[in-house]
Amino acid sequence: MEEGKNNSGQNLGIAALITAIVTFVLAVIPCVGLIAIIPGIIAIILASVGLSQASRSGAPRGILVAGLIIGIIASLISVSQVFVAGKIAKNADKWPDEIQNLVRDVQDDVVKDLEDANISIKIESDSENVEINVNTKQTDKVQKLEEMEGVNTHKDDTLQKKK
Amino acid sequence: MILCKRKSEPLKSKVVKLADEPYHIINIVFAGVLVLILGYSGIFSPEKDNYPVVCIHERLTGQPCFSCGLSHSISLIVRGRIREAYEWNQYGMRVFLFFISQLIFRLDFLRLSIKRHEYRKQLIIYDSAGSALIFLISFWPFLVNIIQGIKNII
Repeated sequence: MEEGKNNSGQNLGIAALITAIVTFVLAVIPCVGLIAIIPGIIAIILASVGLSQASRSGAPRGILVAGLIIGIIASLISVSQVFVAGKIAKNADKWPDEIQNLVRDVQDDVVKDLEDANISIKIESDSENVEINVNTKQTDKVQKLEEMEGVNTHKDDTLQKKK
Repeated sequence: MILCKRKSEPLKSKVVKLADEPYHIINIVFAGVLVLILGYSGIFSPEKDNYPVVCIHERLTGQPCFSCGLSHSISLIVRGRIREAYEWNQYGMRVFLFFISQLIFRLDFLRLSIKRHEYRKQLIIYDSAGSALIFLISFWPFLVNIIQGIKNII
């Protein structure tokens, strides 16, 4: 009877150690690391039950303690995969912002280029030559507008200190 | 009759010895698990993409993680397509070599433990140290990734 009790403790220890080592390897791999918490908890339970049985019957506890320690470490690594998920999610949030900024920069550059663009189209045929010049420079447009209106459109809108 | 008994006794004692020793059982179970892993890589094909294991990170965050493509990579290594395996996951070869080395370790240490039972404790120490070292070398990038994840959050 005594021997049977010892064996049951040992069997639980073997099961706990195997489960804990498998959990340890799984926990390190990010894809399945989060699921590894389940076998991790199983390993801890097996080792704890085995330890209580072994302490009652005075059986050796080496394997049980090893299973318990490896199980706990593996479970902690598995839980830490949440942080890795957090890191990925954080990066995922950053990416759309970065893309938005990039698109905005490109838009600004295109608008700036168009503002200062000087387009000239030349059409040459046997008898006629047509040349169209389009200057989209904003400063030139303002100058032309001033010339047409005869007024200075630029208003001095800076705040003056009251004396 | 007596001869028969004498012949069957050592075989029976050997079987009992194999089952009684926790180290032997652990080695046999792990060897079985490793054969199953390699079988999994062999059965599921990268062309059909019928792997039952889905990345949890990809499900949760929508972004691929560090170990995505590892099953594909190991399957391709088993089939001898090394270059394609590297394209799927650059760490596939490390993990594959870890599994192969562990399979050799399990079978070899089991054989040594049966043959040289008197050195069992030394064998267990060498086995544990060697396996831990191989694990660290093989999974080092994964461990660094976890540490960086924790650092980023803290």
